[in-house]
Amino acid sequence: MIPAAFEYHAPKSLEEALRLLSRHGNEAKILAGGHSLLPLMKLRLAAPRCVIDIGRIQALRYIREENGRIAIGALTTHTEVLESPLLRAKCPLLPQTAWEIGDVQVRNRGTVGWSLAHADPAADYPAAVLALDAELVAASVHGTRTLRAMEFFVDMLTAALLPGEILTEVRVPILPPRTGTAYRKLHQPASGYALVGAAACLTLGPGGIVERVAVGLTGVGPKAYRAVAVEKALAGKKASEKLLTGAARHAVPEHVEPLSDLQASAEYRTAMAVVFVRRALESALARAQGKPR
Amino acid sequence: MATATRYMGRPLKRKEDPRLIQGLSHYVDDLRLPDMHYVVFVRSPHAHARIRSMDTSRAQTAPGVLAVLTGQDLGNAVGVIPCAAQLPEMKLALRPPLATERVLFVGEPVALVVAVDRYAARDAAELVEVEYEPLTPIVDPEKALARGAPVLHPQYSDNVAYRWELEGGDVGAAFQKADKVVRQKMVNQRLIPVALEPRAVVANYKPGENKLTVWSTTQIPHLLRTQIAAALGVPEYIVHVIAPEVGGGFGSKLNVYAEEVLVAHLAMRLGKPVKWTESRRENFQATIHGRDQIATMELAVKRDGTLLGLRCHILADLGAYYQLLTPLIPTLTGLMICGCYKIPAVRVEITGAFTNKMATDAYRGAGRPEATYFIERAIDMVAAELKKDPAEIRRKNFPKPKEFPYATPTGLIYDSANYPKSLDMALKKSGYRRLRAQQAKLRRQGRYLGIGLSTYVEICAMGPSSAMPAGGWESATVRIEPTGKVNILTGASPHGQGQETSFAQIAADLLGLEPDDIHVVHGDTAIVPYGIGTFGSRATAVGGTAVYTALVKIRDKLATIAGHILQEDPQRLVFRDKKIFLKSNPAKSVAFAEAVGAAYIAKALPAGMEPGLEATHFFEPSNFTFPFGAHVAVVEVDPETGEVHLQRYVAVDDCGNVINPLLVDGQVHGGIVQALGQAFLEEAVYDENGQLITGELTDYAIPRAWDVPRLETARTVTPSPVNPLGVKGVGEAGTIGATPALVNAVVDALAPFGVRHLDMPTKRERIWQLIRKFKPTGSRPATKRVGDGRGRRGRRKR
Amino acid sequence: MKLQGSYTLPAKREAVWQLLNDPQRLAECLPGCEQLEVVGVDHYRVRLKLGMAAISGNYTGSVKLTEKKPPAWCRMSVEGQGAAGFVQGEAKIELAGEGNQTVVRYAGEASVGGLIASVGNRMMELAARRILEQFFANLASQLRT
Ligand SMILES: Cc1cc2nc3c(=O)[nH]c(=O)nc-3n(C[C@H](O)[C@H](O)[C@H](O)COP(=O)(O)OP(=O)(O)OC[C@H]3O[C@@H](n4cnc5c(N)ncnc54)[C@H](O)[C@@H]3O)c2cc1C
Repeated sequence: MIPAAFEYHAPKSLEEALRLLSRHGNEAKILAGGHSLLPLMKLRLAAPRCVIDIGRIQALRYIREENGRIAIGALTTHTEVLESPLLRAKCPLLPQTAWEIGDVQVRNRGTVGWSLAHADPAADYPAAVLALDAELVAASVHGTRTLRAMEFFVDMLTAALLPGEILTEVRVPILPPRTGTAYRKLHQPASGYALVGAAACLTLGPGGIVERVAVGLTGVGPKAYRAVAVEKALAGKKASEKLLTGAARHAVPEHVEPLSDLQASAEYRTAMAVVFVRRALESALARAQGKPR
Repeated sequence: MATATRYMGRPLKRKEDPRLIQGLSHYVDDLRLPDMHYVVFVRSPHAHARIRSMDTSRAQTAPGVLAVLTGQDLGNAVGVIPCAAQLPEMKLALRPPLATERVLFVGEPVALVVAVDRYAARDAAELVEVEYEPLTPIVDPEKALARGAPVLHPQYSDNVAYRWELEGGDVGAAFQKADKVVRQKMVNQRLIPVALEPRAVVANYKPGENKLTVWSTTQIPHLLRTQIAAALGVPEYIVHVIAPEVGGGFGSKLNVYAEEVLVAHLAMRLGKPVKWTESRRENFQATIHGRDQIATMELAVKRDGTLLGLRCHILADLGAYYQLLTPLIPTLTGLMICGCYKIPAVRVEITGAFTNKMATDAYRGAGRPEATYFIERAIDMVAAELKKDPAEIRRKNFPKPKEFPYATPTGLIYDSANYPKSLDMALKKSGYRRLRAQQAKLRRQGRYLGIGLSTYVEICAMGPSSAMPAGGWESATVRIEPTGKVNILTGASPHGQGQETSFAQIAADLLGLEPDDIHVVHGDTAIVPYGIGTFGSRATAVGGTAVYTALVKIRDKLATIAGHILQEDPQRLVFRDKKIFLKSNPAKSVAFAEAVGAAYIAKALPAGMEPGLEATHFFEPSNFTFPFGAHVAVVEVDPETGEVHLQRYVAVDDCGNVINPLLVDGQVHGGIVQALGQAFLEEAVYDENGQLITGELTDYAIPRAWDVPRLETARTVTPSPVNPLGVKGVGEAGTIGATPALVNAVVDALAPFGVRHLDMPTKRERIWQLIRKFKPTGSRPATKRVGDGRGRRGRRKR
Repeated sequence: MKLQGSYTLPAKREAVWQLLNDPQRLAECLPGCEQLEVVGVDHYRVRLKLGMAAISGNYTGSVKLTEKKPPAWCRMSVEGQGAAGFVQGEAKIELAGEGNQTVVRYAGEASVGGLIASVGNRMMELAARRILEQFFANLASQLRT
């Protein structure tokens, strides 16, 4: 468990970090909490020539309300998300998701930015940011650009960040009234990551009609995705247990190739995606109806 | 002389804890010596291959490198890795410390690099070029025995390491008389011991003094010292082994490893202090594994549930080479296969097989968890077959308390027990009847509760020397300093069990002192007389008895001195409150320290008495001890996902007299959690090419705090007649008793789906499949869902 | 690990066959290929840098055509070794002409050992598929130019 030699930089500002990144290009890796990168380096599965530790850039660590949205700095830890009164009140899906990540130590160290930038197919946040239709802000020496969650996850371990870009911020909506959210997860028994993780965000309209619904799934395929077919089966219909159960059956569309590994076959993953989507929807619905769950 | 029990039996907090929880203790890896060099091993990525060539030239010239060695370079300088076990007609499979011609498992070391720091050593290790010619790997032990299978050790004609048989009673007749025969093949899967502290070794040789000091995280410092001396061909007196703080072992450090011997050799060869610390990956590949037995059990029973006979065939996957006790472990399974039941006729056959894997060896329970699992699962199947309550089948077949000492048909003498009492207590404490009623009610609602029982007996306090590969005794020295403070030197080498506390309790009571007056020393061969070590739940029953007996010798001597001072009969003196006084007249007393001082000043000792205060005892037990107990597990299975939630766990254990109930509870808790690991989660998986694909903690699941409910423990006390303390041992009992209780509970939960047996670990997907594929003869059981998907975190509180 | 699939290339069968047998152009198509050296008839030694995202490693190995029937099919064996482990595989590659296009079908078995087998388990098959996809995409663009 001994990494290869590397050059280490600890920039104090984002600008400095971006300059370093553009100077070192492909040879460099960003280090945030290090919980994903360091294990890879210690096993020498990753051997970047240069490590840019952005951990000290305090300016990337915040949760604040801005222009009708909540902006979260990329260096915010899972614990900070979990404990944020602002998020708990106005966008509880993120704290609900953070709660399911790893253990106390992992939550104290791991950052929101990674979870997204690393695009681990079993990470939890991707499901939530998809269900929230979040915006992700990437910065480089050339400026910043904003991506939608739907276009952010490209493939296993591959996010839509360009070389030289750092993910700086995640923006999530302030949820309207009569909205319920839930994250339900089947843990991989060894690592604690998601074998299947389903995030649901559901808003009820007059007469108990599903006005808006979004479902994000992680763990099932090579990348997290929106379960669009599930959403279609629900939208505009009167919410009921039967409706949710039927809709959940569309959790794994044709184009998703379910992963298969030691811990779960593709068949089991697919079946569990259906179960956990339904459970997430049921909890979200109950919360939207104001029932405690 | 009466002994007060002021401290024995009390839940004293551990003396060792303050230093451990404050980070003030020292493990091997904390050691830093001037000019220390570091070792990294180059290991085989192949399960089975011929080594075509090795080229170390690039590594030799890498920066910071002091030496690069292959097996060829070592020549005969380091002997083979020892195996202490001897079985009749056993084939030997001893491992060279570095492979030279062939590699036989993934992780087998082929070369080593010594450099100024870990980084340089690791970098250079990547430059060692090894060309392998892959050979067909032998992974499945059943296929290993098939005719025409490739042979692992070319000097032999097949992969059978040994065959071992045992028969007692008339087995043929028993099966003929039977109303029913219950048969089942069961797999007790391969496990990986995951001690918090991985292995680590530091060695330093001082040529002027001709002293080789080896620090190793081991359970057996003295045996290791002997074996290092033998492997290096040096006199034993030059070798000094120290086991500092040891962060868990569970049997995995009851061994002599290639790395230990090689690091010792390097220190002498290179004249520099040398350190090696295992990575978790190496721990998974090259530290011994546990279990890995496939058993076919057959029980012959009468219609009323009386057991008549047992036949068992065990196929034990031993791995590629023997480690210290490898071939012996399965025979313990054979000896204990009857469990706590009267079975008049027994036949056991064991076949040990060589495969391209790491060696199996002693892992918490070593052979007994397997035996208990096989018999306890089989008993549940008998109950299911005869439609009787599993508690009743058990009770019916217990030997009665008055039948002890009880001789088993496998040739053992169980020392003492009261099985019905512990079963009754467990049933009462768990509310067994109510649980069954609740189970029936919930099933109607589509919820699946499972109640699992296990009544176990195990063999421990290893043991009489006649039955042990390398001595079954233990040593203790009690040395009282002139100031009246007491040193206890024990040959047992505790590593987390808490003997620094429990031995101090024994001494405090015998000498009328406080536990803080007592200092327990262990794990250093230069200080402590030769000892055997800590394993097989022996440290208290054998090591503690040695301590007790040495204390009695010292106390007798002190009583004689005090009697001489007080001019009283030593037999009438009492030791209490740091005084020695006349029982009938406490005012007539001498301070403990004064009596001690007299022994050293030696001006007024009774005629002919030796000065000083030191006594050593080597205790040789007459028999093993046989702790027992009854466990009840309650689980709920989520029929939609196959997840198993452990809801309650009740453990009633009997380990004889209890010196410190807190320590006993700690051992039981840890044991149960380890059992939960085997029952529900853990499995070392080698793929068809012999690659260990559960190579890290990301894929090998061990239990977490949130997997464990509050454990409910209780005790019965049946003293052992084998030693004067009346103690039995409890280090492994939890693991032994709990594994079958947990699996029995899962199978019980799945009974409505026609499930009769399920191999470990009881994986979610497998359970989900069983439920899905169930074709009912009547109406299909409801699978209304239970949870809301909060899964195992549901219990987690914030 | 079993690997099989097919890919349609925008060229006639003979052109595809030629490309597969031209070491220089083949090297340009092998993902991460840093060096390809001819060591005998239908036998190459290669140096590759392979990986996914943050994970990558260097491998040296050989590619050998063990049997062939131009331009219809060939059998190929591949082996590679690196610090992260080793890969061994064998595959049969069949070319079927369909007008101006060629359908390449491949079916084979690969085994991995060492570090990548014991920690990369869950990503292995997908990574292999991605590398193959990349390879075919490179072939296609070579054939287009
Ligand atoms: C034992 C354990 C259990 C875990 N369990 C879970 C779990 O259950 N669910 C889960 O979702 N996660 C889990 N994790 C991961 C955890 O959530 C951490 O968030 C994540 O590993 C660490 O983020 P980090 O800040 O440490 O990223 P790092 O390791 O520092 O970085 C990871 C990668 O992202 C890149 N990167 C980091 N920040 C940025 C950025 N701002 N812009 C661009 N690229 C960036 C880095 O270059 C690197 O390639 C677990 C981790 C551990 C160690």
